[in-house]
Amino acid sequence: MPDNWSFVAAAYGLAAVVFIAYGRWLRRREHELTALSASRAHSQAVRSDNTQAVRSDNSQAVRSDNSQAVRSDNTPRSQPLSETGHPRPEPSKRPPLQ
Amino acid sequence: MTVLGWLTALGLVAGLVMDFGIAPREMTQGNVQRIMYVHVPAVWVAYLAFIVGLIGSIAYLARRRPGADRIAHAACEVGTVFLGVNIATGAIWGKPTWGTWWTWDARLTSVSVVFVMFLAYLLLRGAIDDEERAARYSAVLGIVAALNIPLVHFSVYWWRTLHQPPSLLKPGSSTMPPVILTALLVSFAALALLGAYFIVRRARVLALEQEALA
Repeated sequence: MPDNWSFVAAAYGLAAVVFIAYGRWLRRREHELTALSASRAHSQAVRSDNTQAVRSDNSQAVRSDNSQAVRSDNTPRSQPLSETGHPRPEPSKRPPLQ
Repeated sequence: MTVLGWLTALGLVAGLVMDFGIAPREMTQGNVQRIMYVHVPAVWVAYLAFIVGLIGSIAYLARRRPGADRIAHAACEVGTVFLGVNIATGAIWGKPTWGTWWTWDARLTSVSVVFVMFLAYLLLRGAIDDEERAARYSAVLGIVAALNIPLVHFSVYWWRTLHQPPSLLKPGSSTMPPVILTALLVSFAALALLGAYFIVRRARVLALEQEALA
């Protein structure tokens, strides 16, 4: 019987092409999905950083407002505090206009 | 997985050395018999993959764990690839040996029915959007398709066929010369490693796909 090497080469070649193509497809798909999950994780991290930053900005602003308020509370007043709680002293106690 | 990859590469090189370097030219068929070192191990690996798919499908139906479904899906897909290689290399061997690429004998018909059933399995998975339903339906189809494997194996005994009966997976000792048997077994080991490598990788890709969809 003739050797038919062309048939042998065709069979082995076909098997090699199928296995290599399938292996390459698996590798490409895995890389795509790994890159996708990595980019998702990155964007999620950036978003959470931004939220953190906004939150910390807000809390810093609130804190600075409060400290401002405390500071303004502690600043020496030019006028004595009104007994009635009114921002301006009683007319009788006001210093005369100069 | 890298270790499995390197073992697979080593096994494939050893298989090629055995197939072309050590195994002799067969007396009656000539060198075209070397196609058997791909054709026969490919169907054994396909059978093993389908058995893994069968176990994964039963486990999924029993426990509803996505991991079992991923293993079943990966094994059935890899088994289909190997069965496709088996059918194609068989046709290439058939032309110079039988004088025809294809004949509708019991073995070839039953193996092509199994191949079409597993193609339907893969199509069914892709056709249903709901993950849980796709997994459930395809598990049932995977079990039904895998139960046809004994029919393929015994078809050469039950019906009159052009395809020869098994030389190795049969009761009693093998009639093959030891060097040819060794080449066949080394090729089987190499392709089994390749099949295992593909199943592991495919299952990982499926897990990543599920993560991406979540």
